Amino acid sequence: MQLFAQILVNGILLGGLYGLMALGMGLVWGVLNIVNLAHGALIMLGGYAVYYLYTKGGIDPFAALPIAMVLLFLFGYLLQRFLLNLIVRSAQLNTLLITFGLDVVFVYLAQLLFSADFRTINPPYAGSNIDVGGVTIPYAQLAAFLVAIFLAAILFLFLDRTRTGRAIRATAQNLTAARLYGVNPRRIYALTFGTGAALAGAAGGLYGVVSQITPYIGVTLTAKSFVIAILGGLDKPIGVILGGLLLGIAEAMTALYLDPTFTDIISFGLLVLVLVAKPAQILGRA
Amino acid sequence: MTAPIFEVKGLTKKFRGLTALSDVTFQVAPGEILGLIGPNGAGKTTLISLISGTLLPTAGEIHFEGRRIDGLPAFKRARLGIGRTFQVMKPFPGLSVLENVTVGALFGATEGQEKKRAKARELARELLEFTGLTRHAEQRADQLGGPDRKRLEFAKALALHPKLLLLDEVMAGLNHVEVDEVVALIRKIRDRKVTILVIEHVMKAIRNLSDRLLVIHHGQQIAQGKVDEVLADQRVVEAYLGKRRQ
Amino acid sequence: MKNLQRAGLALLAVGLAAVPFVASDTLVQFGINALLVATLTQGWNIIGGFTGYPSFGNSVFYGLGTYGTAIAMAQLHLPFGVGLVAGGVLGVAFALLFGIPILRLRGPYFAIATLGLAAVMSAIVATIGFAGKNIGLILPLFRGDTLFYELSLVLLVAATGTVAWLARSRFGAGLVAIREDEDAAQVMGINTTMYKVGALALAAFFSSLAGGIHAYWITFIDPGSAFDPTLNVRMVIMTLFGGPGTIFGPVLGSFVLSAVSEVLASKVSTVASLFYGFVIVLAVVFMPKGLLDLFQGFRHSGFRYFAQNMRRFRL
Ligand SMILES: Nc1ncnc2c1ncn2[C@@H]1O[C@H](COP(=O)(O)OP(=O)(O)OP(=O)(O)O)[C@@H](O)[C@H]1O
Ligand SMILES: [Mg+2]
Repeated sequence: MQLFAQILVNGILLGGLYGLMALGMGLVWGVLNIVNLAHGALIMLGGYAVYYLYTKGGIDPFAALPIAMVLLFLFGYLLQRFLLNLIVRSAQLNTLLITFGLDVVFVYLAQLLFSADFRTINPPYAGSNIDVGGVTIPYAQLAAFLVAIFLAAILFLFLDRTRTGRAIRATAQNLTAARLYGVNPRRIYALTFGTGAALAGAAGGLYGVVSQITPYIGVTLTAKSFVIAILGGLDKPIGVILGGLLLGIAEAMTALYLDPTFTDIISFGLLVLVLVAKPAQILGRA
Repeated sequence: MTAPIFEVKGLTKKFRGLTALSDVTFQVAPGEILGLIGPNGAGKTTLISLISGTLLPTAGEIHFEGRRIDGLPAFKRARLGIGRTFQVMKPFPGLSVLENVTVGALFGATEGQEKKRAKARELARELLEFTGLTRHAEQRADQLGGPDRKRLEFAKALALHPKLLLLDEVMAGLNHVEVDEVVALIRKIRDRKVTILVIEHVMKAIRNLSDRLLVIHHGQQIAQGKVDEVLADQRVVEAYLGKRRQ
Repeated sequence: MKNLQRAGLALLAVGLAAVPFVASDTLVQFGINALLVATLTQGWNIIGGFTGYPSFGNSVFYGLGTYGTAIAMAQLHLPFGVGLVAGGVLGVAFALLFGIPILRLRGPYFAIATLGLAAVMSAIVATIGFAGKNIGLILPLFRGDTLFYELSLVLLVAATGTVAWLARSRFGAGLVAIREDEDAAQVMGINTTMYKVGALALAAFFSSLAGGIHAYWITFIDPGSAFDPTLNVRMVIMTLFGGPGTIFGPVLGSFVLSAVSEVLASKVSTVASLFYGFVIVLAVVFMPKGLLDLFQGFRHSGFRYFAQNMRRFRL
């Protein structure tokens, strides 16, 4: 029972992070209708940004997080403004292909610049934890989870309360109508993609604290983010976080009851299940 | 009345919470033009999608030439001779106008099914002539202007030799002259012994064309019968009050 | 004109077939790789270029072909011919089994499902004892680069011939209609499910045979190399670069890019992969219809060709 509780806690802590990953993907998808296959690579880049800010700059990983977010935001903004805006109106096949190409570019650029070695962001408090009724909760994991939830809440407030946030949502509903209300779509698109990239960057930094980063972590994270975004609903941050928790718990359970090597296989099984079991909705939107 | 070529019984469609169509029942005689009207969101397009097989019904039956077809996939219904146009037009954007129509001729209803491309292309050329698209034959479909796109929808649907043709707002956005052209085209099609179900908001055109009218409002069938009687019906007038497009 | 083209092609085929008898060993080995990759590319062209389904998981078929052949030869001691058939059957069977649910998905849903599959397949195979777990399998040694070269060439010619048939047949017209608008294709009488599964099975057939040939040539296989997802990068980029949905574009694209990346890889291997990524990105923006269209467009409008492509879909 205690073991079960422990696994549940591990799953929840990891799941919050998954939710954060999916938020960025869902936002870009919902507003720009771009399924960004390079999303996982952006997460990976965020991870390296925090890693180097910590190891080379001596900045605490959690303090480095906002810096990484700003960097990724700028990167995402420019990417959309000067590259992706060129093709957003073409067939969806093209947006898939170009983001796939970007993924390849980021991965190998990272391999060239950062090497293929495993990296972990290891602040001094990484090993310490608290004990709640026999369940161990590592500080770093807990902090990462709380930050993820906090960022989800911020995103929700941003979209709901601010002028820019409302413009983004209006654009998601109807681009032509949004244009009539004086929204500049080029800017809004770039802002949205930048925000998605910033969220990915934060998720990457946190992922580096709780797990390991290599240039190749992106693909599975892209796939997971996608599934969670579907599970949760594109425009509902709370749903997305819940979807993340679900996947996190499922993976933790697999690792315990089957074998850790099966976790990715199980999440892929879930992926196919989710995709195939909700065809009506999925086909309706595609 | 002769035996109906086409019959719908108790047809119902629910989209999760929303009932888009509820218990619709009607028959169409061979060679008839049935007009289908109703305010925006009434469920007209949904009805056409159910008949063509793009959507599957929640309940009810569809019979075509005495055969129950509501379980058949869309492509089989097309091969039986049910053609449709799309309100949101769906050309094959990257193909030439001629190729667009050729596809229909290659795969359409059994009698006219032309397995060879050359033969199919010949048939397609005839249809381009018929719909007045000949001079655009080699142009890419996504480069056509609005009215020509509508014509292309017609030509594509006709390419499969339909016995029943479902037309979804083919006159929307056209000017008076163009509307008259389309009305004439629909008459010409009927003269080829095609039965037609036509959705239209352009009241003058529908009045001119239809042998009978069917009115849907909020997914409910509220009137059916002779054109003038239906248009004088109190419920129809109410449904349209303040909602009229014209 | 038609006859002249045919004669030219026949001459080209004969010329290619003569390569192992005149060229150096290294060149022949490069040739085998290039021919096999071109075959994979042609396979991708069928499902991605003609049918418009962006598969990022065709590497799985290649891997299954590899393993089918390897298991037949290393575990069951069957001859190569039988092994090749086994690999092909395995690839096609998987395409049918997996294709039916997955081809109901469209656009990004399909893309992600295939991406996920490609990413986990090596992990799945690494759990199977009969397939040598994560250690892999060793096939009987056979030295004969010329044979492997000619086999690969035959396979590529067969794949290209199939694509040429697609471009003129009713089946191919159906695939193109699905690519252009699947809903419209359906109501025009096309059995879209069967057509899509057929296209995937064809792609799987050629990809798995390429895997089988490669397995026997290389004699040692393991999950990581057999199910290498970066193969998908190559198939996609080479098709795009040459011209998706055309007959010879993918072959041209893969020959050119194989040669370029061979040169780059001789310096730093990462640079070649990076180069692929850049080519995909630039191709989508500036030449979405590939080299063949570029040649025509460029003759017609010069450098404006790129600007025209770039402007077409700008926000
Ligand atoms: N795929 C779908 N999923 C959910 N709801 C749908 C779907 N298609 C249609 N609806 C809803 O069903 C109702 C009927 O829609 P339908 O398109 O049939 O109306 P219509 O009579 O054709 O309207 P219009 O005159 O505007 O074309 C609408 O409320 C619409 O929002
Ligand atoms: Mg409608």
